[in-house]
Amino acid sequence: MGKKRRGPTLDELLARPWCYYCERDFDDLKILTLHQKAKHFKCERCHRKLNTAGGLSVHMSQVHKEQLTEIENALPNRSGLDVEIFGMEGVPEDVLQAHNQRVATQYHQSEAERQAVTGNPPSGSGGSGPAHKKPKLEDLSDIKARLAAHRAKRAEGATGGSSREMTPVGTGQSASTPTNSNRRSSKHQLRNHTLSLMGPPPIPAASPYSLASPVYPALSPAAVSPYAPPSAGTPAAYVAAPPGAGPYPPPGYPSHVYPAQPTTLPSGSPSGSYPLPTVPTLDPNNQARPGSLPALSGLPQRPSFAAPALNMQQMQQMHMGHPAPSSTSPEHANGDATQAPSHVASSVDELISSAAKEAAASEKPTKKEKSKNIRMVYSDENISPEEKMAKLPRYAFSRQAFQQETALGEVPGSIVVGTIRDQDTVVDPAH
Amino acid sequence: MSSNQFTLASPPTDAISALKFSPDPNSTRLVVSSWDKNVYLYDLRDENGAVGEGKLLQKFEHRAPVLDVCFGENENEIYTAGLDWDVRKIDLNTSEQTVLSSHEAGVRSVVYSREHNLVISGSWDSTLHVHRPDAGANTQSVPATIPLPSKPFSLSLTATKLVVAMASRALHIYDLKGLALLTAQADGDTVEGNRVELEPWQRRESSLKFMTRCVACMPDDAGYASSSIEGRVAVEWFDPSPESQARKYAFKCHRQTAEDGVDVVYPVNALAFHPVFGTFASGGGDGVVALWDGISKRRIRQYQKYPSSVAALGFSGNGKYLAIAISPGFEDGKEDISDGVVRIMVKELGETEAKAKGAK
Repeated sequence: MGKKRRGPTLDELLARPWCYYCERDFDDLKILTLHQKAKHFKCERCHRKLNTAGGLSVHMSQVHKEQLTEIENALPNRSGLDVEIFGMEGVPEDVLQAHNQRVATQYHQSEAERQAVTGNPPSGSGGSGPAHKKPKLEDLSDIKARLAAHRAKRAEGATGGSSREMTPVGTGQSASTPTNSNRRSSKHQLRNHTLSLMGPPPIPAASPYSLASPVYPALSPAAVSPYAPPSAGTPAAYVAAPPGAGPYPPPGYPSHVYPAQPTTLPSGSPSGSYPLPTVPTLDPNNQARPGSLPALSGLPQRPSFAAPALNMQQMQQMHMGHPAPSSTSPEHANGDATQAPSHVASSVDELISSAAKEAAASEKPTKKEKSKNIRMVYSDENISPEEKMAKLPRYAFSRQAFQQETALGEVPGSIVVGTIRDQDTVVDPAH
Repeated sequence: MSSNQFTLASPPTDAISALKFSPDPNSTRLVVSSWDKNVYLYDLRDENGAVGEGKLLQKFEHRAPVLDVCFGENENEIYTAGLDWDVRKIDLNTSEQTVLSSHEAGVRSVVYSREHNLVISGSWDSTLHVHRPDAGANTQSVPATIPLPSKPFSLSLTATKLVVAMASRALHIYDLKGLALLTAQADGDTVEGNRVELEPWQRRESSLKFMTRCVACMPDDAGYASSSIEGRVAVEWFDPSPESQARKYAFKCHRQTAEDGVDVVYPVNALAFHPVFGTFASGGGDGVVALWDGISKRRIRQYQKYPSSVAALGFSGNGKYLAIAISPGFEDGKEDISDGVVRIMVKELGETEAKAKGAK
């Protein structure tokens, strides 16, 4: 895939055809002419579309006996009939110039704004493509890791004590109502959790991986059913974990990922190289390592769940320069590696979409109401617009003040004072 | 024959409150009242009698914004009503102004009945004043005051009836003959005789759910149309029989759908019946004027949107011209009326332009 395009260049913008009447621009001339026919040269009476303003004018006068005075939907100063426009033809030179100038200034302005916001160099000054890509990737895993860490923390807080290790699943199932979303989220949580476990310490893992890589094929069958019931398999596996596991022991790291090992290990797998038994006991304080135990318990399903997540990381590791046996790595690429991210992605998508749906559901009724709703330009039920206007200061009229004035002799010649009533004169303090 | 439109020269400098043609079929005069405290008299014909640009004949200044104006007995006599609480008679030949009566609040509307020679004004003090202008010689003549349940917002009359549309969606229909008799009596009765409790011929509630904006009677004396601030027009008949009442209907108009799907509803500020064809025009806050056939319930045509709200409409006496007054209207959320175009357009109607097409 090439570099992402960052919007059109100025030249492209200037080359775009635009409508004289409404200053809208279009992808090509054909669409512009269609727009003009539909918006500006359409007969109000019979909805017939004409090609030009002149044509419409003739049509109006001949068919409807009316005089066309202005172009519909046009900008105020462009509604005249004096210019004959068809597509881009007929646009006066000065208007054209003004438009180009406007487009150019707009372009430069938005460009400057974007630069200010993103800190990117101006377009066309060297590719920053790779630099973009990597941070993005890291970002994603970072976020996931943080999410998992946060969840783990919360779960930890919820259960407390030494049993923390099995919390992700345990709490999720016990504490929460068995609603769909809950279950999904707990699953998701678990997956994320394992992912995060894999995530942070890629460096120590590097060395074992080179050894381990041949083992991977073993996982692929399991990966076919990545959604093996977590409730059945995983909790048990977790329970098996001793309260404290080793603190990121580099050799132990991969171990929990390979629980399937015992059963389906391919011939080439250096099972002996796995320091599995030693790992779990290394550090009694590490709670973040529940996974390390499953290997011991040898539950087949568990890896299927965790493995894909791991494999993604692993793949990365492998691609980072560890020469993997040619026979195995393709398998990874086709099997676990590709599936794993898609699972994660799909579950994330699911979450997002469900959240979006919820949001939409809560928004929808209001929207519907809105569309039913009407906005009244004037909605006062009791006071007429005229009365409101009459209250404006500039229309204010005080009869008393006028009486005073007239009493002072400034009677306009035309005013007949004969009908002034008693009450008026009584109220007047000047008398 | 093409429909021509021209703009009157020297329009008012502020929002327009009313526009009336002389009912005289041979007259091409029209008067316009404005918030700029003036009443403008225009004639569509120039010195040579040819209808062209239309020109301003005279301008009459008032003390306060003028809210309504109407022609009197002939094209040389007008009545005005305004925020200075007064109802005036202006002789166009001599420019002499006579105050007929004073209300206790701004006077929203004034109408003249040629058949009964009555001037009726409606004020925000919730009264109608009924004047007999021919009693002008008698300076002791005091107009009859008819109390109303609410503020009258719009008056309209036919040869025999007066329709008063009020706040709180109330609507009274008075019999002009009764009014004339009563005023004559009250006039003779000099002792505090000017306040008259008069039972209306009919008392109705508006068929529209929102505040009545304008009411206009059919020229054939059969019924009336009323409009509300909520983009709707109702057509009703005077005849109280169930059959006639069943014919009444209302329809939506003067609405626009905004980009976000919200229907923007404009008040229908003006209604005017064509004196010959009996069709009517409506003008809304959206700046649109539409012609309707009230009998077959069809829209005849709709004109292009004007740059500001339609404030008033009027057909000339012979029905050949339609004058459209546009000016910025008062809208929600605005403390002041916005600046906008104040203009009076006159449409020269084609022979059948305002004619009902007949039900299909």
